[in-house]
Amino acid sequence: MISTLKRDLRAYGAIVATVPKMFMAYSIWVWMSWFVQIIAVVILVAFWRAVFSNTATVGGLDLDTTINYLLLGMIFRAGQNTDVLYEIGEMMRDGRIGITLLRPLDMQATYYVINLANMGLNTLLSIPIALFAWLAYGLSLPNDPLVWLAFLVALLLGNAVMFCFDWIIGCVGFYSTEIWGLSVLRYGFGLFFSGALIPLDMMPDWLRTIASVLPFSQALYLPVSILAGINPVSAMPRIWLIQLGYLVVFLVASRLVFGRALRVVTVQGG
Amino acid sequence: MIEAVNLTKVYHIPDKDPGVRGAVKALFRPRHTSKTAVKDVSFAIEPGEIVGYIGVNGAGKSTTIKMLTGILVPTGGQVRVLGRDPHRERVANARDIGVVFGQRSQLWWDLALRESLTMVGRIYEVDDARFQRLISEFSETLELKELLPIPIRNMSLGQKMRAELAATLIHEPRIVYLDEPTIGLDLLVKERIRAFIKRINQEKGTTVVLTTHDLGDIEELCRRVLIIDNGVLIYDGSLETIKQRFGKYREITFETAADLNGLDVPTGADVLEKGGRTLSLRFDRTQTSASRVSASIMSQIEVIDLSLKEPDLSMVVKQIYQGGLKETA
Repeated sequence: MISTLKRDLRAYGAIVATVPKMFMAYSIWVWMSWFVQIIAVVILVAFWRAVFSNTATVGGLDLDTTINYLLLGMIFRAGQNTDVLYEIGEMMRDGRIGITLLRPLDMQATYYVINLANMGLNTLLSIPIALFAWLAYGLSLPNDPLVWLAFLVALLLGNAVMFCFDWIIGCVGFYSTEIWGLSVLRYGFGLFFSGALIPLDMMPDWLRTIASVLPFSQALYLPVSILAGINPVSAMPRIWLIQLGYLVVFLVASRLVFGRALRVVTVQGG
Repeated sequence: MIEAVNLTKVYHIPDKDPGVRGAVKALFRPRHTSKTAVKDVSFAIEPGEIVGYIGVNGAGKSTTIKMLTGILVPTGGQVRVLGRDPHRERVANARDIGVVFGQRSQLWWDLALRESLTMVGRIYEVDDARFQRLISEFSETLELKELLPIPIRNMSLGQKMRAELAATLIHEPRIVYLDEPTIGLDLLVKERIRAFIKRINQEKGTTVVLTTHDLGDIEELCRRVLIIDNGVLIYDGSLETIKQRFGKYREITFETAADLNGLDVPTGADVLEKGGRTLSLRFDRTQTSASRVSASIMSQIEVIDLSLKEPDLSMVVKQIYQGGLKETA
């Protein structure tokens, strides 16, 4: 058992190691990504300052808390965007799925570790953005290690939920070989219902209820709201339990759907 | 080692009318047609064999290979590879096989070859000492040394194929499927790759299933061939047997001074090609002779030039693709 685990760690570790290497292959990507994100930060702050120009609070949140929450959401947004849909769509279209399935690895586990590596890498690459937000707009981060720990657990659980959710949608591609439309819908819904555009607290009750039932907020609003001080650490056990519930349901469903989808896979091209 | 019994694969292909109207119609009322890519194919391959699997484009070669590797599920029939169902036990099967798709890369486009091979080695759990030994072996046999620091995206087609072969064999698989490994390569690279395949088969006893359109690959490497046509296996036997069986036919081509109108084909000959002022005939040398066939043609029309082609594998296969096996059955 331990030797199997060591063997798997080595194999999946090798997969993880490709992520930064591939990303750094074109240094212009990194510079462009920083440039675009800094522009986005400037626009975001200007927009919310305009929204708050005639009011002190919206949905119980003041300007500083809102901006702090949204900046943190930008820095840690990678947890919510798993890229799995895009990857599966591409693989189905160009037939690379055949090569992926030929590796002696569980495909879902492989893409989960790639997703984790992407999340870590994107978060690391957000450090200059965080520095800019701190210098320009006074981004505030908590000092309490317990808050960071609570955030990290919620982020990992939420990301795992979103990964399984995206995996289920991605499996539709095994039947249709085309999931571009679905992925646009998924990312649109994700942007709005995850709390990346506006904090869920600002939504009317009925919309907030929908947003809290949908899985999108699990990997962004829930963890980031802890960091931004919107949710206290004392609320965490309840939040983790909810996240675990979502994770169990989506994990089981994703394994079942994937198992069936593999039976209908078509490898495009000769 | 590999056993296929009544292997069948049916694809459901979207059937769209042409144009924007067809695309819109397919959106609301999608239609599908069924295409049988492989039908009731049965064969068994023993350890250490090199088997050529040949057929025209769309005959079902790649579909069969994909079912043998476990990435496609057969619609009917059974396949066992090393005693396993390759689809149900995909991961275990993947550890024992290696696959080269000539038109698709398993390497990481942006990584240097050395890094790509290291990744593959780790994925397949090749220990460090064995990995180093194989790298130095491949560096010599596939002349990889100068390629190791180069990213795959900067390699030529021939260099990429050598790199693919190294990546496929770095875990010393017991079975290797090579799907058109020499496609688009120049003669020198082809020869190097053929020599390499022959060597790993002889030295390590690796079983090789080779699909190719290049009959040079087949002649150089395979004693046994499987021929598939329209999804149906039409021949499974030794290369020598079909060469002998079809070797009695010869081809003769005439270039004439005038257009070929109303020409009588000599007894014992069949028309292979007829157009403008060129006529190609095939004749059975046990029934007639080149001199008789050419005399008959020359008596009817002025011949400027003629050429006689001795039977080679390409002729044999051409005859088989044109239904030769059905005719002689």
